[in-house]
Amino acid sequence: MKKYLLKRVLISIATLLVILVILFLMLEFMPGSPFNDEKLTTAQVELLNAKYGLDKPVFIRFFNYVKNMLSGDFGVSYTISKNTPISTLLLSRLPISVTIGGQAVLLGTVVGLILGIIAALKHNTIWDTLTTIISVIGVSLPSYVFALALSYSLGYKLEWFPLLYSNKAPFDSSILPTISLSMFTIASIARFTRTEMIEVMGSDYIQLAESKGISGIHLIVRHQLRNALIPIITVLAPLIVGLMTGSLVIEKIFSIPGIGSLLVTAIQSNDYNVIIAIAFIYSAMYIGIMLVVDILYGIIDPRIRLAKEESHE
Amino acid sequence: MKKIISLLTVLALLFSLTACGSKEAAPAESSTPAETQTASETATSEEAANILKVQIEVEVASMDPQIATDGTSFEVMGAVTEGLYSVDAAGSPILAMAESVDKSEDGMSYTFHLRDANWSNGTPVTANDFVYAWKRLVDPATASEYSFIAEIAGIKNAAAIISGDVPVDELGAVAEDDKTLVVTLDFPVSYFESLMSFNSFFPVNEAFFTEKGDLFGTSPDTILANGPFKISAYEPAATTIELVKNEDYWDADAVKLDGIEYQVIKEAQQTMLAYQNGDIDVATLAGEQVEQFKADPEFHNIMAGYLWYISPNQTVAGLENVNLRKAIALSYDKAAIANNILKDGSIVADFAVPTLLAAGPDGKDYRETADTYLATDKAKALEYFNTAKAELGVDEFSYTLIVEDTESAQNVAQFIQSEIQTTLPGMTITIETMPKKNRVERMQEGDFELGLTRWGPDYADPMTYLDMWITDSPNNYGFWSNAEYDSIIQSAKNGELALDLIARWEGLKKAEKIVMDEAVILPVYQKGNAVMIKGNVTGIEFHSVGINRIYKNAVKN
Amino acid sequence: MNNTAAEEPMIFLENDFEFVSQENRSHIDETYTSQSYWKDVSKRFFRNKGAVVGLICIILIVFMAIVGLDLNDYAFDEQTITHQNLPPRIPGIENLGIFDGSETMNTSTGVVNRNKYIAEDGSVTGLEDVYYWFGTDVLGRDIFTRTWMGTRISLYISLVAVLVDMVFGLSYGLISGYFGGKVDNAMQRFAEVLNGIPNLVVVTLLIIVLKPGLMTITFSLMITGWIGMSRIARAQMLKLKQQEFVLASRTLGARDFFIIFKEILPNIFGQIITNTMFSIPTAIFTEAFLAFIGLGVPVPMASLGLLISDAFKSFTTHPYMIIPPVVVLAILMLSFNMLADGIRDAFDPKMKEM
Repeated sequence: MKKYLLKRVLISIATLLVILVILFLMLEFMPGSPFNDEKLTTAQVELLNAKYGLDKPVFIRFFNYVKNMLSGDFGVSYTISKNTPISTLLLSRLPISVTIGGQAVLLGTVVGLILGIIAALKHNTIWDTLTTIISVIGVSLPSYVFALALSYSLGYKLEWFPLLYSNKAPFDSSILPTISLSMFTIASIARFTRTEMIEVMGSDYIQLAESKGISGIHLIVRHQLRNALIPIITVLAPLIVGLMTGSLVIEKIFSIPGIGSLLVTAIQSNDYNVIIAIAFIYSAMYIGIMLVVDILYGIIDPRIRLAKEESHE
Repeated sequence: MKKIISLLTVLALLFSLTACGSKEAAPAESSTPAETQTASETATSEEAANILKVQIEVEVASMDPQIATDGTSFEVMGAVTEGLYSVDAAGSPILAMAESVDKSEDGMSYTFHLRDANWSNGTPVTANDFVYAWKRLVDPATASEYSFIAEIAGIKNAAAIISGDVPVDELGAVAEDDKTLVVTLDFPVSYFESLMSFNSFFPVNEAFFTEKGDLFGTSPDTILANGPFKISAYEPAATTIELVKNEDYWDADAVKLDGIEYQVIKEAQQTMLAYQNGDIDVATLAGEQVEQFKADPEFHNIMAGYLWYISPNQTVAGLENVNLRKAIALSYDKAAIANNILKDGSIVADFAVPTLLAAGPDGKDYRETADTYLATDKAKALEYFNTAKAELGVDEFSYTLIVEDTESAQNVAQFIQSEIQTTLPGMTITIETMPKKNRVERMQEGDFELGLTRWGPDYADPMTYLDMWITDSPNNYGFWSNAEYDSIIQSAKNGELALDLIARWEGLKKAEKIVMDEAVILPVYQKGNAVMIKGNVTGIEFHSVGINRIYKNAVKN
Repeated sequence: MNNTAAEEPMIFLENDFEFVSQENRSHIDETYTSQSYWKDVSKRFFRNKGAVVGLICIILIVFMAIVGLDLNDYAFDEQTITHQNLPPRIPGIENLGIFDGSETMNTSTGVVNRNKYIAEDGSVTGLEDVYYWFGTDVLGRDIFTRTWMGTRISLYISLVAVLVDMVFGLSYGLISGYFGGKVDNAMQRFAEVLNGIPNLVVVTLLIIVLKPGLMTITFSLMITGWIGMSRIARAQMLKLKQQEFVLASRTLGARDFFIIFKEILPNIFGQIITNTMFSIPTAIFTEAFLAFIGLGVPVPMASLGLLISDAFKSFTTHPYMIIPPVVVLAILMLSFNMLADGIRDAFDPKMKEM
């Protein structure tokens, strides 16, 4: 197990470095320099390029960047917030994005599981149809449509929740974004849970348990859900990543000072360093989540661990 | 297997938390330590009274006067800092940090006597603060994007310092004593005083700036105020910015607001929902929302300075032909663009210098006495088109129009595309959209055929537009060149015409006529803004040049 | 050895045999007519009502995407500026009081009810005989035509992207899984790295780096989509390559590529088709998302995503504009999901009793 773990971690770190190279090269091909404002003269652009070291050869810039990054320095923002260190920019924003994302995952998983279980238990009844409809709507509509519908109904008409994010009431004002963001997760988890539960419920060991007289909550939780949960953990990882991208739109709509909205602005204004930093953070989170899921999965189901070790050998 | 059970327990626990969370969170939050409670209470009572809540569409890019380049930064900075001059509601310069001024006869030197005013940390505002700031502005090491404005203002040696030929200390701005600032110019500049209200000329306290170093302008502690308000909450690229009244401001009695709260909202729908909920007092409408609100007494049309036009690249085959350019210019219905598509108070542009930009020596607006050109005329457009076809010996034309990716720009572009193709059979237009930055770069590199672009004025003089089309100007996207035009502009800037204001004004009109007769640019519209202002708010001053909104005299009842 | 019994002939008596009672009768094997794999699959598929409904909806939508543009006289990019923002009006149905071109608008000064086609004061609007079935957009374009144009583009983008995914991802996964060892390791690390970059970052950067347009969007979707397919193919390959029929084929002298594409590929067809069906809605969704952050297909072309994000901007003013593209998108997503479910169950009969 230890060997497997070490290997996974090393691979993750290597992946991250390669990603950094790819991101950096990709940005090299981005049209537009960060300084091509109409009011700048050519001489000034050259000066600015020199000031920020953009006139140096690509590989020197890359090594400088990696070196600085290892000491926690992501460079400065060129356009979004002029001359501000990116670490400063991200420091206050990252926790907000992570909090809202975390809330959405939590809400999505819990509600999704419950809906899925209800649908599976009340298989082929009106409840099943109802949850199916909810999950179908959830996967069929873009999250921004939800965001607008929720702000119009719950925020504007009923005035239950604040329409805009405010750092004075971070929880209250994150309710609407959280719900809009979690719709896709709810729907996916519910669908998946339903299928898995139905499969598990039909399996021999459950029939055995039933014939032994085990029933009710005990049967659902100990025997059915537990076995249905294993595959669900695997879909959770891509879903969490999906949330990150969803957050771009949601953060823009609800004026949330998170990193998703920052990324969109950065891409549109060619703020190189900010793009690299955020894309890198996203990738790091993604790889981190994948790693955790892999390890978790190995712990839960030893068969998988063994199979993976074999396949890597 | 135990692990799965514990995992489940955690899940269940978390679920119970979220389930209760929505109900309990609100009281839990208000029962946090007493200080926060009182703070939020006072905040709410103030909100009800006198805090103006303003929506802005983009984040503030910089609070450093010599670095900032965008309207939003200018607006927020203008609320906390004052230069030598400010502008009144009509846009004329009024004395601010300067208490009085002595102008020399030839208009080549100004002596400013500063009033007794303090920065928000208690140190007095001195002449040296201005000298220091201006030297920063022109110092090549600062790489300020707006350094050219010092050249426009004609401050002695500014041009030479910017190009690095002369040391910074030679700048024609000297602090004679703490309260006397002497500025010498290279040539007389008729709009010098109005330029002095521009952000780039705002003072910076040297001691404070050196102390804060790289952190200058990034938090309430690193921003000094000498204006009507001071910053109480700010961070780089913040979505909310809070200002409170500056009690130490020299004219504090005139300031009626207790504070301003800026809220960044990028989504137009959300903006209006928040406005209708009473979360904001001042909001900008977009697109079709105008239809929904135009009957409202709180609805206002504000003229903005931006001129939108199509720039044809004259190095592209066909577009070097003046008749073809004119054919395109006359072929689209500008009135429909302004009234049916934009609806925000934008007006038809049959000119190269926008209206309400600058008043001439006669006191009248430039446009009042100047002619209009290139008005929409589809029949005439077809005539020009046929002439062009004959001259070029080509029957079919196909051009790509590059456009930035905002909603209004895309809608206008699609309409223009359809109009040109209908009016001029044989002409095909393809639209390519991209972020503004990319469009600007493509145009500067000449890698385009037609580009829908815009220009906002930097100072209140037609020169802010006309200067763009001289030979070799980086903003002369079409690569047009005309010796007569160049000489008029040069002379009006710092030659013979600069000395005679009336002749200069006529010269500028002549220059505009040349640009329009040659269809160097194909004007489309001058931007208007549709703004909602709550009925209890009055006194916000709107300007199309420099600082767009000034809140010093705003009142909220 | 006892030979005596054999020598004595046995005589059966009438009462030696008795019919077994119904209860005691042992199970009799039913014989089924043998049927091919595909027949079996299609039988199972057509038994699934949801999947059939999904299939019908998809066929209908595809049909409309093909002919819908020609059902009225408007072109998808034809602008009539005087006809802007007209609500839906359908001949015949308008007499029922719905789709009659009237619109209720919540202005800040109160609710306004109006009909832009027919003026209430009897004045001539010039639109009395004009019908827009789904209404018009902000530039006066027919939403009906644009919706089907958008559907066409969205379907095209997703189909091309998914097909290329399938071909490339499939080959990649199969080759990687078949050869194993160093080849597999290298190929998997590469896929892992690519997969480690969030899709959104790849897609947005690509669209900005390349020229914006239909091809770029399709290409970006392809770049990120094939990994999922390759994983499935690889997993199946790992499972199958140890089996006897592969060994048999190899013993008979089959080459690697013959084994991969002729022996193994047909066996994992079900998985592949299922996965493809699930990828199409994802591709449509990604396209819609890109349109929302301003990286969609170039105007005046339309995709469902672009139509939704355009109509979204006037949702509180003219809500009818967003309904057609959203409904088509939702039905399309739903149908593909149901169809995919159905196909999966048809290929994988272990759940068929459910």
